[in-house]
Amino acid sequence: MVVIAVTGKGGTGKTAVAALLVKFISEITSNVLAVDADPDSNLPDALGVEVDKTLGDVRELFQVTRESLGTVDKESWLEGKIFEVIHEFDNFDLLVMGRPEGEGCYCFVNNLLRGILKKFMRHYDYVIVDCEAGLEHFSRKTIESADYIIVVTDTSRKGLKTAKKIRELAKELNLKFKEIFLVGNKIVGDEAKEIIKDFAKKENFVLLDLLPYDEKVVELDLKGEPIINLPEDSEFAKKVRFIAEVLTRWGS
Amino acid sequence: MVERKKIEIPEGKKVKVSVGEEDFPFEISPMFEGERIRKGDMFVELAGPKTMGFELVISLPPDQVEDMKATLIGIDLDEMEEGGRYPFAMIYYIAGEKIDPDIEPVVERRNHEFQNYIEGYMHINSRDTIWIRIGKNAVKKGLKSLLQIAKATMMLYKNEMPFIEKIEAVYITDKELVEKLLNELARPIYEERDARVEQLHDEDVDEFYSCTLCQSFAPTNVCIISPDRPSLCGAITWFDGRAAAKVDPEGPNRPVPKGECIDPIAGEYTGVNEFAKQESGGSVERVKLHSFFDHPHTSCGCFEVIGFYMPEVDGIGFVHRGYPHPAPNGLPFSTMAGQTGGGKQVVGFLGIGMAYFRSKKFLQADGGWYRVVWMPKELKEKVLKYIPEEMRDKIATEEDAKTIDELKEFLKRVDHPVVKGVVRPVDGKKITDGWVEEKEKEVIEERVEEAPAEEAPAIAFPTQIPQVSTAPTVRLIIKNAKIYIDKVVVRKVEEMKR
Repeated sequence: MVVIAVTGKGGTGKTAVAALLVKFISEITSNVLAVDADPDSNLPDALGVEVDKTLGDVRELFQVTRESLGTVDKESWLEGKIFEVIHEFDNFDLLVMGRPEGEGCYCFVNNLLRGILKKFMRHYDYVIVDCEAGLEHFSRKTIESADYIIVVTDTSRKGLKTAKKIRELAKELNLKFKEIFLVGNKIVGDEAKEIIKDFAKKENFVLLDLLPYDEKVVELDLKGEPIINLPEDSEFAKKVRFIAEVLTRWGS
Repeated sequence: MVERKKIEIPEGKKVKVSVGEEDFPFEISPMFEGERIRKGDMFVELAGPKTMGFELVISLPPDQVEDMKATLIGIDLDEMEEGGRYPFAMIYYIAGEKIDPDIEPVVERRNHEFQNYIEGYMHINSRDTIWIRIGKNAVKKGLKSLLQIAKATMMLYKNEMPFIEKIEAVYITDKELVEKLLNELARPIYEERDARVEQLHDEDVDEFYSCTLCQSFAPTNVCIISPDRPSLCGAITWFDGRAAAKVDPEGPNRPVPKGECIDPIAGEYTGVNEFAKQESGGSVERVKLHSFFDHPHTSCGCFEVIGFYMPEVDGIGFVHRGYPHPAPNGLPFSTMAGQTGGGKQVVGFLGIGMAYFRSKKFLQADGGWYRVVWMPKELKEKVLKYIPEEMRDKIATEEDAKTIDELKEFLKRVDHPVVKGVVRPVDGKKITDGWVEEKEKEVIEERVEEAPAEEAPAIAFPTQIPQVSTAPTVRLIIKNAKIYIDKVVVRKVEEMKR
């Protein structure tokens, strides 16, 4: 199992990158799990699939059902429910983490979830996680660790600042990642390239690639159409395919 | 009790039988646990959310069980359509010297684990929610019959649970029979088991279980989970504790040997005391499981409901997390929870799980329901069926009383036991004196003294309210106290004397 976490400030295009990685990696092996771990973005939309149930729903259901379960094993009950909310598509499975916790105590259910997800994720060749900049599910250990962290940023000050924060957080959380990469996005002109390159060097990122500003990506995003419909011969798609290939080489 | 016997095979059904051991065309290993067979890789789906099925273990006398015999009623794998979905039931008959109906659920639960050891075979859930997928890869490798799965599972059972002397399996894919047995055999047995849980009490077991999941933010909290006392968060029952402890004995749920029972009414045990002392780093020395006032259980912070003592009425109120308004003591849930949480023993406040209201030993040392005077309507409705009938109208809600004064009036009007003194049902002992007459005296005295204009919101005073001695010095001894004081007025002692 190789876990790839794609993160960055909202609006930098991280979900587009994550969705395309799912597309290209699942063309290499169909044993891929995509995880939408950012309640603010929408990986299912980007992938062009519909999702009605989330892990958050299961967690809430557990909180209200747990008392009436009698002697039923709660772990196996929960595992069954999780398997029900995994959406199966031709080339990949999708798990949406969903809404944040409500009131009450989630210690027990989260503890069970950790065990179940750990056991279950290890059977996939690739797990691709679209996660918010706070890396919440990693800090809670609902997802144990990431092998590769890809931080997507544009040249905006906020984007870079967030990237820096993620770098620090990943270290603090003691995520045993093999590498933390930077991907520059919406790069127009040499000056922008230099900004990202300098930043990567200064903050000790491995710069994976620089993605161009792509009208079509913006258009798809505006219309809410799946990003995976991006023409494969576009420079953006080609570059992400390259990233997917590189990652799978390193991963195996 | 549902009679334990072999199922009858209706005439005219397709039956296939195989006896004895054999070699398997698939690997069996714990590394396949948790394996998900994706839709695209699936040969067939058995039982599951879109059709039906169940698994059931039945204990029988040894002479009725034919060891390592596997029977299949209905069509087999090689007759199934690829990508199809079929009903599925698995019944195991077991026999052995140590085997009785009590052990059935313990054995049944392992079916999930063992079957997941089988390569290319996915087993999810339990009882009548099982969900099985068989992978194309398994069929490609030579899996032809469900009898092979039955044999492999029985072999694992015998290896891993040697007290099973004989085991026989009956698998069913015939829709009609699965449905019939589900309703007439399996479900009644599940219900019977659940009913038995309600009857299990602290005295019936040798071990309780701990939960230290909350210690990350309540470092001295030690939840002790007994049959009569589920965890404060409401999530973990004694059965869950036992299951978790078996899987990971060094994990957050560990067995707590009861030791000697020091106080059967309050629920104090030497083993629990020792464990609590050790796990709380010495800050908790004694824990009485069913007591509100005397060495109560610690409160973590994530409890579902908080109980609070109101000295003015000598009764206990409860408020749940979802109730946003102040209770009659003037405090909302959040404030009380903030004062009580963190793994401390706070006399006067007690965090509990919703399920504890169901317990037959619910605060029995302090009169249980007969000491309860107030709860929000929403909470009361939820637990109404556990309240003794004669108390149902005597416990006030926010509709009856929002303040202590209103509560007093209400309690007098309905003649709540706290008014004249509570007799605890467990041993018939009178534990409180009541307050209806004293209260009137107090009022007179208060008038003679100068009425304290600065009456702070009534707060549960722990244990005894410190006595002011007649000597010219003031001695205050407060133990285990949490006091909220709005205003303190200090006057010369002489002035206080009449």
